Amino acid sequence: MSSESSKKRKPKVIRSDGAPSEGKRNRSDTEQEGKYYSEEAEVDLRDPGRDYELYKYTCQELQRLMAEIQDLKSRGGKDVAVEIEDRRIQSCVHFMTLKKLNRLAHIRLKKGRDQTHEAKQKVDAYHLQLQNLLYEVMHLQKEITKCLEFKSKHEEIDLVSLEEFYKEAPPDISKAEVTMGDPHQQTLARLDWELEQRKRLAEKYRECLSNKEKILKEIEVKKEYLSSLQPRLNSIMQASLPVQEYLFMPFDQAHKQYETARHLPPPLYVLFVQATAYGQACAHMKSSQPPRQDKTLSVAIEGSVDEAKALFKPPEDSQDDESDSDAEEEQTTKRRRPTLGVQLDDKRKEMLKRHPLSVMLDLKCKDDSVLHLTFYYLMNLNIMTVKAKVTTATELITPISAGDLLSPDSVLSCLYPGDHGKKTPNPANQYQFDKVGILTLRDYVLDLGHPYLWVQKLGGLHFPKEQPQHTVIADHSLSASHMETTMKLLKTRVQSRLALHKQFASLEHGIVPVTSDCQYLFPAKVVSRLVKWVTIAHEDYMELHFTKDIVEAGLAEDTNLYYMALVERGTAKLQAAVVLNPGYSSIPPIFQLCLNWKGEKTNSNDDNIRAMESEVNVCYKELCGPRPSHQLLTNQLQRLCVLLDVYLETESHDDSVEGPKEFPQEKMCLRLFRGPSRMKPFKYNHPQGFFSHR
Amino acid sequence: MERAVPHAVPLGQVEVFQALQRLHMTIFSQSVSPCGKFLAAGNNYGQIAVFSLSAALSSEAKEESKKPVVTFQAHDGPVYCMVSTDRHLLSAGDGEVKAWLWAEILKKGCKELWRRQPPYRTSLEVPEINALLLVPKENSLILAGGDCQLHTMDLETGTFTRALRGHTDYIHCLALRERSPEVLSGGEDGTVRLWDLRSAQEVQTIEVYKHEECSRPHNGRWIGCLATDSDWMVCGGGPALTLWHLRSSTPTTVFPMRAPQKHVTFYQDLILSAGQGRCVNQWQLSGELKAQVPGSSPGLLSLSLNQQPAAPECKVLTAAGNSCRVDVFTNLGYRAFSLSF
Repeated sequence: MSSESSKKRKPKVIRSDGAPSEGKRNRSDTEQEGKYYSEEAEVDLRDPGRDYELYKYTCQELQRLMAEIQDLKSRGGKDVAVEIEDRRIQSCVHFMTLKKLNRLAHIRLKKGRDQTHEAKQKVDAYHLQLQNLLYEVMHLQKEITKCLEFKSKHEEIDLVSLEEFYKEAPPDISKAEVTMGDPHQQTLARLDWELEQRKRLAEKYRECLSNKEKILKEIEVKKEYLSSLQPRLNSIMQASLPVQEYLFMPFDQAHKQYETARHLPPPLYVLFVQATAYGQACAHMKSSQPPRQDKTLSVAIEGSVDEAKALFKPPEDSQDDESDSDAEEEQTTKRRRPTLGVQLDDKRKEMLKRHPLSVMLDLKCKDDSVLHLTFYYLMNLNIMTVKAKVTTATELITPISAGDLLSPDSVLSCLYPGDHGKKTPNPANQYQFDKVGILTLRDYVLDLGHPYLWVQKLGGLHFPKEQPQHTVIADHSLSASHMETTMKLLKTRVQSRLALHKQFASLEHGIVPVTSDCQYLFPAKVVSRLVKWVTIAHEDYMELHFTKDIVEAGLAEDTNLYYMALVERGTAKLQAAVVLNPGYSSIPPIFQLCLNWKGEKTNSNDDNIRAMESEVNVCYKELCGPRPSHQLLTNQLQRLCVLLDVYLETESHDDSVEGPKEFPQEKMCLRLFRGPSRMKPFKYNHPQGFFSHR
Repeated sequence: MERAVPHAVPLGQVEVFQALQRLHMTIFSQSVSPCGKFLAAGNNYGQIAVFSLSAALSSEAKEESKKPVVTFQAHDGPVYCMVSTDRHLLSAGDGEVKAWLWAEILKKGCKELWRRQPPYRTSLEVPEINALLLVPKENSLILAGGDCQLHTMDLETGTFTRALRGHTDYIHCLALRERSPEVLSGGEDGTVRLWDLRSAQEVQTIEVYKHEECSRPHNGRWIGCLATDSDWMVCGGGPALTLWHLRSSTPTTVFPMRAPQKHVTFYQDLILSAGQGRCVNQWQLSGELKAQVPGSSPGLLSLSLNQQPAAPECKVLTAAGNSCRVDVFTNLGYRAFSLSF
């Protein structure tokens, strides 16, 4: 076998020498190959099957030859050698054939390998191409989805509506003929329009900004100017002070007052403002000249401003709330106090506390008498009180009976009907009082001042009786509407009180001071004389037997003043019990008579006494005299004297009694009696001087 | 708590004046309407108030029904006397007599139907009319008062036909004798005079004050009230209330009443009288005081008996005088309530 393999090597070398060149020239020059190596071409021409048959045959031949050689050798002999030689040659030929077949087989293998390789390479290229294509497809798909998912910014823009757009946009932007059908173009056009508009607005905005800048600068300049003005004005004010004083124009003072007024509680503030306004209005009405110094109404604020400041940090605090919470606080904080009495006392004091500021009102009357009013504000009760004082130009000699006329306690009583100023006008107060054990405000009015209803109204406080409100707010219009009437009433009240004061001084001395302008109401000769004029107590009046009618009619209130007059003529004594209403002289004094002459005669047993009462009480209007009729009381008393004269002189003479009449008839009368009740002629007719029946 | 005051409403100027006016009011005259359901009352301010008796007497009467249905200003001066015919209310006082239609009197703004003034001779002061008397037989009205005369007025024509002169002072009261056409008048001069209407002559004069039984010089002579029934006559005033027999001109009974009487009337077999003092007095003819029923006024000036057959339920006695109230007596024994101006 080793010999076979070495033999096989040779063709191999040959082939390996020629093989590379063979491959290069494989296709380019087949003819040349045919020249050098026919074997490679031969492969294509030969059938591998037949080669395999050939190979089998050759191998069989060899095997037979080998077996014949073996046979010949084993028989041995000399002639055999030639035969063996012959056979050897034959087997060599067969070997040659085998070699040839081997080469062919190799070439074929190589060729097959090449073909496979070539095909494989082709497949690889195709595969690669496929991969590339797949990748490209994927990429494109991604791009497509990306495009599909794309959101445009314009969708977020709030565009003007379609109609508006076609209405407002200029045609070169709207391009109606193009955009009507094409929503894309339409949107574009609308966006264009939007842009256009925004540009314009931006322009406007810039303009406005610059404008604002300009104005700000102006303001700055003006501010600077104003701030520089203040010191200058101050200096001018300072300089003008002496001039003001010289010209009696207290502007500065008024300014200071207003400054203080800011710390007043609301009701006092309302009062202050309204009273000042009223005072100024009056001063202007009275004279065309500049306001005089001696104006009739002057307003001032008294008290400590600092205390007020400390008290009212926020001045708008609701009073009711405060008082409520105060009361509760007191209950909790003061529990440690030892005695209940002291505690209650403190609570009472707290409840009745006044505001530290008060308003002073000076009302000047014609005769230079002044009514000083001081208004206080009770913070926790939310009511206002007033204290009054009257000063006169000349010192008055006070008659005994005039004691109460000008007393601060009663001078303003019943300014309006029924306004005694002794009850609290705020219905809520009663509950507050119950808490601290105050029975009525009556016991405190001397200290606190009187809470008249008109005072509340001047302060703009209104307490409706039907529905108590929790908070009562000071109201300017209420105050303004009551200011004028109240001021007039106050003035009338002071004047009538002063007039009464004067009259009383005379009456006490038995003189009925008839003034010259009332003289015509009475005959020249009046014989009856007033001999007594004294004040009596309300209780005493109520107990008089001839005043029952007045008491029953409810005309004898305890706020009235009561007097007893005694008129005499000879043996006849006429007692007159007089009720003086605080509203004198608009409400007349009421007389009740009792005549002691030939028995006691009163209105219940003598019609003429009743007629005399009616003459002074009901027909008082003709006795008023010239306005403002302050002389009414005097005239009524004088009239009473005249009436007594008439009564006595016309009394029918009793024929059975001897002697002359006690009172000869001196008055001229048309008739002595008239009518079913036999009235006497009480009516005096002025110029003729006779008496007739009413 | 605050002390209670005597009255709830404070009095202003107007209220005080009104209260005083009411306090000094005197109701001089009364007259019942022909239907018997209404009562007119005239006061010293010249006002006439008409009250509804039927409403005030009904079972569901309230306070308001005791107030006048209507009040109007009839005269300038006091309304001293009133009478009712079957259609009219006649009122007089200050010299004039005015007629009002009962049918329209309850309406607002009622105007008088007519007014007449008797021919007076004096001009200085208009004399008052103190008494009116209807004479149904000859359909005339007799007026008497300040000018001391009796004027007869024909109600048909409204003319004054006669003037009967004789009194020397003013006349207080008149009374008609039912059978014969004779009229009695009593006056300030203290006489009661009997007049014959046919002849217009004074028939008889009784000078009451001259009779000692009834004379009371300290009260004066005047005859304030007068009533007559057939041959009997009762009169009073300054002299005591006395029953007279007319034909013999003699006082038969003197009633023991100190106060001067201002109104007297016969009622069945009683004599009712009123005057100074609160009471309505009921007398037997024999002179006994049967009863004294107190009223609400300190003095009474007029009594009125509502005997209209048309309204038997309103048969009451009313009395008025020196107050703004008219007392209503549903029976003679007691004052039921008061109507008030």
